[in-house]
Amino acid sequence: MRRFLLPVVTGLVILSIWWIAWSAGAFPVGTVPSPPEVATAFGEEIASGRLFADIIASLYRVAWGFTAGVLAAVPLGLVIGRSAATRESLMPWINFFRSLSPIAWIPFAIVWFGVGDPPAIFILFIAVFFQITLATSAAVATVPKIYYRVAEDMSLSDADVLFRITLPAIMPQLVTALRVAIGVAWMVVVAAEMIAVRSGLGFLIVDARNGLRMDLVVCGMITIGVIGIGLDILFARLTKIPSVRWGFDR
Amino acid sequence: MSAETILKLDGVGFDYPQLTVIDGLDLTVAKHELVVCVGPSGCGKSTLLSLLAGHLKPTRGTVDRTGQSRTIYQDGGLFPWLTVKENIAGGLPRDTKPDARDKKIAEWLEITRLADFANSYPHQLSGGMRQRVELARALAAETDILLLDEPFSALDYQSRMRMRRELVATLVERPRTVVFVTHDIEEAVQIGDRVLVLGSRPTRVRKVLELPPGRARTPASPGVAEAEQAIMEELGLS
Repeated sequence: MRRFLLPVVTGLVILSIWWIAWSAGAFPVGTVPSPPEVATAFGEEIASGRLFADIIASLYRVAWGFTAGVLAAVPLGLVIGRSAATRESLMPWINFFRSLSPIAWIPFAIVWFGVGDPPAIFILFIAVFFQITLATSAAVATVPKIYYRVAEDMSLSDADVLFRITLPAIMPQLVTALRVAIGVAWMVVVAAEMIAVRSGLGFLIVDARNGLRMDLVVCGMITIGVIGIGLDILFARLTKIPSVRWGFDR
Repeated sequence: MSAETILKLDGVGFDYPQLTVIDGLDLTVAKHELVVCVGPSGCGKSTLLSLLAGHLKPTRGTVDRTGQSRTIYQDGGLFPWLTVKENIAGGLPRDTKPDARDKKIAEWLEITRLADFANSYPHQLSGGMRQRVELARALAAETDILLLDEPFSALDYQSRMRMRRELVATLVERPRTVVFVTHDIEEAVQIGDRVLVLGSRPTRVRKVLELPPGRARTPASPGVAEAEQAIMEELGLS
C-alpha cells in the first residue's frame, strides 16, 4: 500500500505547487499551461482518438527497433564474449559507435530510409544494438569457468554450451541490460519522431509546439512518462521468471 | 593398462607459464578403488583432478583413462538456473528416454533425500543439500570414474560428517572408481582405501598409505590414528 500511496502523495504535492505557482502568476503568459488546461487537452486528445493513435505509432516503432536490436546484438555479444580474437577486433569499434548519440544518425537515417517508420526504427536499432552487444559480451566474460568444465564432463556440443550454459548463465545480467535499453529506446523514439515522421508522441510534442499549444506539449510529456514507467514495470517482471530469479535472490 | 586399472598417470608433469605445478607423478587407480589425495593448500591437487578429468593436458608424461568421468566441485558446480530435478537430469546420458529419465531422477532424489526439494533452485538450498545434488548429478551419469575436488570443505563439521557417510553408503550401492582430493587428513583416513600424501609444488607422491578394509571409519577404527599420525609427520605437522 505504502509503495503506491507515497508516489501518489508526491504527485499531488507537485501538482499543487504547479497549480499554486500558475495561479500566482509565476510563469509568463503562454509559457506554462495550467493543470485544468492540460486536463482539457487530455480530454480532447483522447476523445479524438489522436492520443491513442500516437501511442500506438510510438510503441510500434520501439517494438521493431528494440526487437531487431536485441536479436542482432545478443548473438554478436555471445560470440565476442567467448572469442578473444573477435573481442579484440570488434570491441574498440563497438565502444566507438556506442559513444555516438543515436540522434547523430538522424541525417543518415533520413537519407538512407526516407521518411516514415523505417528511419525511426533504424535509429532505435542503433540505440539498442551497441548497448546490448556490450552488455552481453561483458556478461559472458563473468560466467564462472566451472560451468564450462561441467559442460565438458557432460560432453555438450558447442551449440549446447552456448544455448544451455552461456545464455541462461547471463540471463539475469541480460534482463537488467534489456530494462535499461528499453528506457533508452523510449527516450530516443521521441527524439526520432520529432524529425522524421508525422505521427507518434514525439511528433505530437513538436506539432503542439509549432501551434503554441503548451497544454498539448505537457499532455504528450505526461503520456511519455507514464508509458516509460509502464515499460519499466513490464521489463522488471522478467526478473520474476524462476530461471532468471536466481541472479537477483543471491 | 591391466583390465582392473581405470586410471594411470605415468611420469606426468604440468607447467603453468614459469611455474611447474606437478612433476614426475605416477599413479595407478584400480576399478572401484577410492583413492584420496591429501596435501597442503596450493600443492596442485585440483590441477591433478583436472588432468584426470581431461580438462587439462599434461605437459609431460601420459594420462590413461578407461571410461568417462564426472567431477564434483567444492561449490558452485550446479547450474543456478535449473531446479534440483533439472540439474540431476542434466547429468544423465543424452540418449536416456523420457520415461527412464523420470524414473532415474526420482530414484536419485530418493537416495539423496531431496524429493521434497525437486523443484527448488540451488540458491534456495543449504550447502549440504547443494552438495547432495552435485553427488546425485554426478552419480546419475553412471560414469565409471568420480572425481571429487574438496567437495565437503565448504560445509560445517556435522554436514561434512553426514556427507562422508552418505558418499560411502552410496558407493556401496553404486560402486565407482573414485579419486577424492582433500586437505582434511581426518576425512582422508576415514573414507579412503588408499591415501596418497602429496608434497608441495612441484607435486609428487611423498607417501602412500593403505587403509584397513571398511570405508566409513571413525577416529577409533583400527589403523586410523596411526595413519593420521603418519600423514601429519610426512607433512611436517607433528
